[in-house]
Amino acid sequence: MARYRPEKGPKQYWQEYKVPYRRDTVVLDALNQVKAEQDGTLAYRWSCRMGVCGSCGANINGVPRLTCETFLHDFKGQELVIEPLANFPVVKDLVVNFEDFMEKLVRVKPWIIRERESPVEEGEYKQSAAELERYSQYSSCINCMLCYAACPVYGLNEEWLGPAATALAYRYIEDSRDQGKKVRFPIVHDMKGIWECTLVGECSVVCPKGVDPMLAIQKTKILGAMEAPKSILNPQTLKAILPRGGQ
Amino acid sequence: MSAAARLHALLWGVFSLGGFIAAFLLPVLIYVNNIAYPLGLWPVTSRDPTSLIVTDQIIGSLFVFVTVAGSLFHGVFRFTATLGELGLKDHVERIVSVGYAVIAVGILALLYYLLTLNPGFVNMVLHLLGPR
Amino acid sequence: MSQKKEYPELPRKKLGPGWWLGNRHYTVYMVRELTSFFVAVFCILYIYQVVVLASAPGSYSQYLDLLRNPVMIGFSVVALGFTLFHAFTWFFLIGKVQPLKFWGWTSTPVQSLIINTVLLVAISLVIIDLFFMGR
Repeated sequence: MARYRPEKGPKQYWQEYKVPYRRDTVVLDALNQVKAEQDGTLAYRWSCRMGVCGSCGANINGVPRLTCETFLHDFKGQELVIEPLANFPVVKDLVVNFEDFMEKLVRVKPWIIRERESPVEEGEYKQSAAELERYSQYSSCINCMLCYAACPVYGLNEEWLGPAATALAYRYIEDSRDQGKKVRFPIVHDMKGIWECTLVGECSVVCPKGVDPMLAIQKTKILGAMEAPKSILNPQTLKAILPRGGQ
Repeated sequence: MSAAARLHALLWGVFSLGGFIAAFLLPVLIYVNNIAYPLGLWPVTSRDPTSLIVTDQIIGSLFVFVTVAGSLFHGVFRFTATLGELGLKDHVERIVSVGYAVIAVGILALLYYLLTLNPGFVNMVLHLLGPR
Repeated sequence: MSQKKEYPELPRKKLGPGWWLGNRHYTVYMVRELTSFFVAVFCILYIYQVVVLASAPGSYSQYLDLLRNPVMIGFSVVALGFTLFHAFTWFFLIGKVQPLKFWGWTSTPVQSLIINTVLLVAISLVIIDLFFMGR
């Protein structure tokens, strides 16, 4: 286990623990056993212990995983190396600072944006099963940040909007109730937005909920590529760039 | 979308189209010109494949132009991005500028020399445009 | 009330230039991306071939001799291999992003790869027949 205790020293160090093994033991059980019976100083995040809260992400043998869903029996005969999620600053032990991630989630305005809010008397916004199908996969994100830990583009450039935030933006772009394309497009189609992605695809490999952020990013790129010529041919844009205002 | 992002979106569209061209059209050109002809493999031609299909052959020249221009754009665009991921992130702007220069010079040279190899086509176009 | 102490965080670890050797998926990704180098180099060499043909026909036979050079043939075989690898990975990725849809049937990425590969072979044969057969 990678330990970092800033109150004790400035460097990360390794500490070995042995834990009792049962067939159904997950890594989170092992962490809890260590904290309860061997070393109470160990710091890590967890909550639901059933893969829905997204709290317990860590790098396990170099791969970002949820500790509550990673069974020890999958590593039988191997040494288990547990580190904090890659690409994030470390606060203590396995606890990372995820402020950058939270800022990016909020940046894409993850709520329904309407040009006009219908009054309650007009009833609910109706949506067919087919319309729901267009975005439901992307609404499964549990904000676990495994995709950010897996993404080498984010590792090389912290300014990249990132897989989860882009998938979330796409979720709202594809939602038939949403009318916020004009608001979200400049955010995702920024040079530090989707254009940084080079299709490594590791985000989709590690995602525990099958969101497939790589697919969301590519679909957003296609929307951008289709939108760009239209916005250039827009009469106002043409008027601004043609000599004498187009006359 | 900012102007830079709008332009990048358009270039990505061209890059994407270049990907299809490189996937479907480039392999046969590499095989026929660089492998089959020097080694005398099928399809055996009376002379080298390139002079066969571009000299006074507008359709062949068009095939060559689309294949090579599209593939060049795709290859250089992608390679410059890859160099950024191989530790040259701080020099990416310079690398990208050199990349676009290579693309522009390459495509313009290809277009110019293909046209010089098709004087009949060029004369026909000039004739259609009418006397000056 | 105790004083709250601020402790320094460990900054993000910098990814070195060899990051892609860290796991198999990353390595396959980088090999896929480096196919672009061979695509670009072949195109530049081919443009040069056209330039020599058009502007220096006297030197063209020297360029054709260069095509027969074992190093050039070796490069061409490698370039063809990488170009085909690029094509197959492209078909698979496109199959994920924009699957083929016909009469209610939607392709999987593997089916898209197979269909597009068959299309690649068909297009190549048509090009050979159109431009090179019996000429």
